Amino acid sequence: MTVTKILLVDDEVEFVSALSERLRLRNYDAKAVYHAEDAMPTIMKDKPDVVLLDLKMPGIDGIEILKAIKKFDTTIKVIILSGQGDREIADEGIKVGAFDYVMKPVDIGEIITKIEQAKKSR
Amino acid sequence: MRKIFTRFLNTLFHPHDYFRILGRDRYKSLKIRIVLLDAMISLVPLIIVVTISYFWFQSILKEDFRNQVKWEIENTEQSIEYFVDGKVSALRFLASSYSYKQLSDQKMLNDIFTKFENEFSGLVDLGLIDSNGIQQAYAGPYPLIGKDYSNQEWFNEVIVRNVYVSDVFMGYRRLPHFAIAVKKNCPEKRSFCILRATIDMKILKRFASTINLRENDDAFIINHDGILQTPSQFHGDVLNKFKLPVLIPERGVSVLDLKELNGGPAIFGYVPITNSPWILVAVVKSTPYLRIPKIFRNELLLISILSVFIGVTVTFLMAQTVVNRIRKADQEIEDAMAKTEQASKLASIGRLAAGVAHEINNPLAIINEKAGLMKDILDMSGDLQQNKEKFLGLISAIFDSVNRCSTITHRLLGFARRMEATHEVLDLNDIVKEVIGFLEKEIAFRNIRLELKLKEDLPEIESDKGQLQQVFLNIINNAVDAIEEGGLIEVSTRVKDKNTVLVSIRDTGSGIPKNKLKSIFEPFYSTKEKGEGTGLGLFISYGIMKKLGGIILVESELNKGTTFTVEIPIRAGDGEGGHV
Repeated sequence: MTVTKILLVDDEVEFVSALSERLRLRNYDAKAVYHAEDAMPTIMKDKPDVVLLDLKMPGIDGIEILKAIKKFDTTIKVIILSGQGDREIADEGIKVGAFDYVMKPVDIGEIITKIEQAKKSR
Repeated sequence: MRKIFTRFLNTLFHPHDYFRILGRDRYKSLKIRIVLLDAMISLVPLIIVVTISYFWFQSILKEDFRNQVKWEIENTEQSIEYFVDGKVSALRFLASSYSYKQLSDQKMLNDIFTKFENEFSGLVDLGLIDSNGIQQAYAGPYPLIGKDYSNQEWFNEVIVRNVYVSDVFMGYRRLPHFAIAVKKNCPEKRSFCILRATIDMKILKRFASTINLRENDDAFIINHDGILQTPSQFHGDVLNKFKLPVLIPERGVSVLDLKELNGGPAIFGYVPITNSPWILVAVVKSTPYLRIPKIFRNELLLISILSVFIGVTVTFLMAQTVVNRIRKADQEIEDAMAKTEQASKLASIGRLAAGVAHEINNPLAIINEKAGLMKDILDMSGDLQQNKEKFLGLISAIFDSVNRCSTITHRLLGFARRMEATHEVLDLNDIVKEVIGFLEKEIAFRNIRLELKLKEDLPEIESDKGQLQQVFLNIINNAVDAIEEGGLIEVSTRVKDKNTVLVSIRDTGSGIPKNKLKSIFEPFYSTKEKGEGTGLGLFISYGIMKKLGGIILVESELNKGTTFTVEIPIRAGDGEGGHV
């Protein structure tokens, strides 16, 4: 069984670094980028199975990144990392092709379940 | 004078320029305005009516007085005319009743004269003159038998006209008198003779003086050449010349208003006396008609004062009622405003809450992940000592996040708590920075550039922090909504003058069309999509600044952006009042 490759995209460094470490502890190949503009180059290079994507980042529209990922490779599953007040954006993301969303603060069990579901659906 | 009048009009129609718009002064000015306007409406017609009545009454009195003068002149003229006619008739009767012989009999003439004298007052003498002008018989006080009158004008006149009334003259007697002469045919002498009576001028003077005169008035008789026939109070004695101011017609009484006669205006009345060479003249300089009867004046005054009193009382009571109603309505509006303000405050808090929730969510997510990671490490390795450094790092990150949360909650509480208006000494730049603190996350997400140009050493102001924050929050929020990504919001502070500081909020948004600019401070006016804006933000902000003694100015250019400038008085109450 191959290790699931996960890319986390979020500008909140402390959050995303801890979350990626927790995923690594659970044997995922998790990597984090903290700037929206780094997202696409990394995806193109690493071709992750699942992307955990924050849609609300300064200076860039997360929906556009989502569209770019889907354009690049439809098999890459995107799970949106959404704040409590941003359900509308998350719903929009689903419409554009995201697999699912999780609300911050995230429950590690929930996120693992969703990653597994996403991986299965490929 | 003109200045005072203009100022009065301005006070009447624009009292806000003179009285402050807020507070009790406003009602006072309103009351003054209503009382002045109402008093003007009710009292001006009253004054006009009273004045017109007064002058109308005066002119009636003058007309009446003129008529009275005219009537008196007419009566006196008739009396003189009857008198002269009577004398002429009597002489004619004598002339026809007695023969020349009888009349030339001195004794008989004396007898006739005595009887005649008893019947007719003023008769001086009676004489019979033959066709040669020699007085043949004479009855009277002077020795005039044999006097030759053939050279005198009257003698020739009576020959032509049969009857003659002379002007007043001195004659042989050196006393003013006039003569009435009638021609008598004397068949026995185949000639004519003349019966002549002389009458004392005093009789004419007595007639003239029957005209009812006052101190400055004058009545006298003149002949057609203007020679005085009776003495005049102001124009001298008998036979003096009186300069006629007008041309005297043949008949009828005339009464004229002369602007100038003997150094002043006068009523000039005159009438030619029928069958005589005389003109009766009255010069009336007294003006009794100007002294309007006291009773009328007093009544008019009493009615006027009573009307003014009633008018002013009613006006005052009316103004009081109106102002009280307005005050009550204002109070209701103020209460409604307070409620609206509260609603708007809650609305902006609601909006803030969304942002704050997002902001708090992030540190919570960090805490969650850090704590989760610590648990993971403990669960998986169990070696606390080996991971001590890592744990300390994670705990420190948790503390940082907790601090982040508490900063946000404190800021929010600080904003929400200030519902009541208070005045405290404040640093305007700090307030601006705090407000920016609420919004910088959203500004960053929207990729909007924020420039702060805060003037250092800005004087401290005395104002209400919460209220000012709400104003800035409303305006900056609008700016955020108005601009596209990549736009600019520039917030600057500076000193306007020694009493005022400014906060300018400039955005590079779409701008506000000119026709909408005047509506932006109206309540429930919103250009945002339905459900996004309450339409109360600027309305409330305007009300707040008015209350704080400041103003909000707005400049906007389509597709270039909008600048809101908030002027704040340095000392509470120093502001210019609520004009925008």
